[in-house]
Amino acid sequence: MVLLENDSFLTELTQLFQKCRTSGSVVITLKKYDGRTKPAPRKGHTESFEPADNKCLIRASDGKKKISTVVSLPFPQFAYSNLLRAHMDGLKKKDKKSKSKKTKATQ
Amino acid sequence: MPYYQTWEEFARAAEKLYLTDPMKVRVVLKYRHCDGNLCVKVTDNAACLQYKTDQAQDVKKIEKLHGKLMRLMVSKETHSGSMEMD
Repeated sequence: MVLLENDSFLTELTQLFQKCRTSGSVVITLKKYDGRTKPAPRKGHTESFEPADNKCLIRASDGKKKISTVVSLPFPQFAYSNLLRAHMDGLKKKDKKSKSKKTKATQ
Repeated sequence: MPYYQTWEEFARAAEKLYLTDPMKVRVVLKYRHCDGNLCVKVTDNAACLQYKTDQAQDVKKIEKLHGKLMRLMVSKETHSGSMEMD
């Protein structure tokens, strides 16, 4: 699992999407992260760890390659959401009924 | 493992589940361009909520929910339900 900086992560994620256009899936996982880098201590040991409240982890994979990044503010949320929207464009477009619903006075 | 039929119900249930225990909940998004579908799953390893779609109009909704949950995760929130509208 490769831990990357935010912008490298976005670049690699773009490449993952491009690689999987003909076959395969891209899986993105999002989870709140408290910043711990060591495993939880066993009973009896005091945990000298301060959980952070403002981070989350994003992981992405195409089944073979795995990448991840830690997100905290500021995060290029705009770039990230544009990336998702731009690449998830293979879905069916529904425009059969929508034109008849919008009764624009152009007639 | 229930697949929700309406986006509204799924989005509401997902946000509610997240707010009950932010540290436990994870959001999984699976996109298959070759099959043209998108699946979202929100789970805390006990409850599992899923929604899948092949409609382009759902992409924006899913991406917005994803962004919303991300923002909730990175903001230091002292109490839930505080939404600031800009």
